[in-house]
Amino acid sequence: MTNPSRGRYLLLAALALWTLLPLAVLVLASTGGASRFPSLWRDTPGSGGWGVILRDAPRLQAALWGSLGLAMATGLLAAAAGLPLGRALSGLKGWARTLGAGSAFLPVAAPPLALGVGLQYTFLRLGLGGSFPGVLLAHLVPAAGYTSLYFLSVFSAFDGEVEEEARRLGAGPWQTLGRVTLPLLRRPLAEAFILGFLVSWAQVPLTLLVGQGRVRTLTVEVLAWMGAGQDALAAAGSLCLALPPLLLMATVALAVRRAEVVAP
Amino acid sequence: MKGPGRGGDRPPVAAAAPGGPPPATPPALEVRSLDVPFGRAPGLTGISFQVARGERFSLVGASGAGKTSLLRALSGSGPLTAGSVLVEGEEVTGLPPEGRGMVLLSQRPLLFPHLSVFENVAFPLRVRGTPRSEIPSRVEEALGAVRMEGFGARRPQSLSGGQAHRVALARAVVSRPPVLLLDEPLTSLDPSLREEVRRSILAIREEYGPALVLVTHDLQEAGRMADRVGVVLEGTLAQVASPELLFRRPASAAVARFLGLPNELPGWISRDGSLVLGGWGVGSPGHRPLPPTPTSRSREGPVRALFGSDAGRLLPKGSGGIPGRVEEVRHHPEGAVIRVTLLPGQGDARRTDPVPVAPPRGASVPSRPLSCLVSVDPLRPPLPGEVVEVSFQPDRMHIFDE
Repeated sequence: MTNPSRGRYLLLAALALWTLLPLAVLVLASTGGASRFPSLWRDTPGSGGWGVILRDAPRLQAALWGSLGLAMATGLLAAAAGLPLGRALSGLKGWARTLGAGSAFLPVAAPPLALGVGLQYTFLRLGLGGSFPGVLLAHLVPAAGYTSLYFLSVFSAFDGEVEEEARRLGAGPWQTLGRVTLPLLRRPLAEAFILGFLVSWAQVPLTLLVGQGRVRTLTVEVLAWMGAGQDALAAAGSLCLALPPLLLMATVALAVRRAEVVAP
Repeated sequence: MKGPGRGGDRPPVAAAAPGGPPPATPPALEVRSLDVPFGRAPGLTGISFQVARGERFSLVGASGAGKTSLLRALSGSGPLTAGSVLVEGEEVTGLPPEGRGMVLLSQRPLLFPHLSVFENVAFPLRVRGTPRSEIPSRVEEALGAVRMEGFGARRPQSLSGGQAHRVALARAVVSRPPVLLLDEPLTSLDPSLREEVRRSILAIREEYGPALVLVTHDLQEAGRMADRVGVVLEGTLAQVASPELLFRRPASAAVARFLGLPNELPGWISRDGSLVLGGWGVGSPGHRPLPPTPTSRSREGPVRALFGSDAGRLLPKGSGGIPGRVEEVRHHPEGAVIRVTLLPGQGDARRTDPVPVAPPRGASVPSRPLSCLVSVDPLRPPLPGEVVEVSFQPDRMHIFDE
């Protein structure tokens, strides 16, 4: 008789290998001095991409801060926009709901390149091309689509009677929002923020097309290093790309958990 | 921030004595000609009633009669299409829920899951801007009134059903609202919890003295909890009366049916004023079963009699009672009843109240035999199929025009 838990562990191990292997390869590649395709191993000893990154720290820092600022702003604004949009969508019925959800889904479903080309034309005419606000707005288009759809599912299961109860107990609309609705939606809000952050953090086509190379983010830098054949540098930059989202997710999850455990 | 309109936070008041003189102050709640829609249907129309401070008023009606919609409309959580609502003499019809001075307690206790029990009860005080120093004592006082002292640090998720109801009650009254609306507060509870929550409701009424409007479909509950009862039937408030008067003198056949009277027989009032059911005279000539009510017939004509099984009784054979055949015997915890089919046209010669020969215009002797439930001695019930003699007590019957 086969042990069912054994199969489960094998599946988990396969999944872990599948997801961690690229990172392990990146770690190896980032420490390589020079390597020849298809070898992953360094041919000459050295500090690899890390040495270059540390020597050119201001450039990396600028890209990192650019990425972080953009992703944080996108996450915050996408969560803030997704909440009322998702709530409004959840209140619709029939064809109106289908149409609304379809509109939110369109920028998510459209290829980023197609979206980027369309937005580039628009933003250039509006004078937003090549600017941080322009790229932020461009990132918000798919990010708000994601968060709206996410909040649509959240509000489909949300008990609005709790808000009515707050009103009947004497709370005004803003008091109800601040003391009941938002605290109850603490976790979905954090998750929507992370969703928006990740959409922006990994965004390349929109940043390149709308930012016109003037808005430098870490993804754009990594792409440039790849194009220039600086594989070790690109690998080190990629690791820098991977770490902040992981740290952010862990931090937010801990903060939400702590807030849920401690009574206000 | 304090909400617009009326708030709570008033001192406790003494409960109005049931049946006492009308209060000099305006009623805690006054509802004038209210129309409440059910979706696109007309719903309730012309609802009017008053509730004094400290009074317990119960709205009863069948499920789906619109009682909850009425409460929601009163609290500002539901729509109304006409009429006005006054709280302590002030019009609140157009105000949002937080400005009405009323708290609606839902059927299920909607405690805020992200707040502790203490913070749940403190919620109405915090949103009304009560000084922080007052809040702990007010919360403890309210929790004490529902015997939930020491539960302040607990989370709502850790409470039993009855405890959650009691915390919701404490939260509803902590700001001393003039009017407390209770929507079927006991319906979803098992009997032991029901008693627990019932005691808490009565305790907070004694402690805080709000006007209580209690919605229920349970007549026994209404009779037990309320000073006055309003019956919601067919979209209107069919009768408002004390429980005693309601049960003794329902205002219409519809109300009497709602009260669950098991017997309904067609008949007429004869020229001499006596009641005739199924062709048999009931009571002595000229006897009026009850003092006249707005719908009861005071002159000759067709009527409908509704009555409980205790209005009939079994007579010894040969006593001159109305003959009937026992169809079935039903035993229940309070005793036993029999279903009797009255035998037409078999009047006993020794009866003192002979059968009227001709029914008045508009009435007729029923073509089919009539049957009704009659209480019997559970230790000596007759057998099914047996022919028995029964008599009826007209003063326990409710007579209405056809």
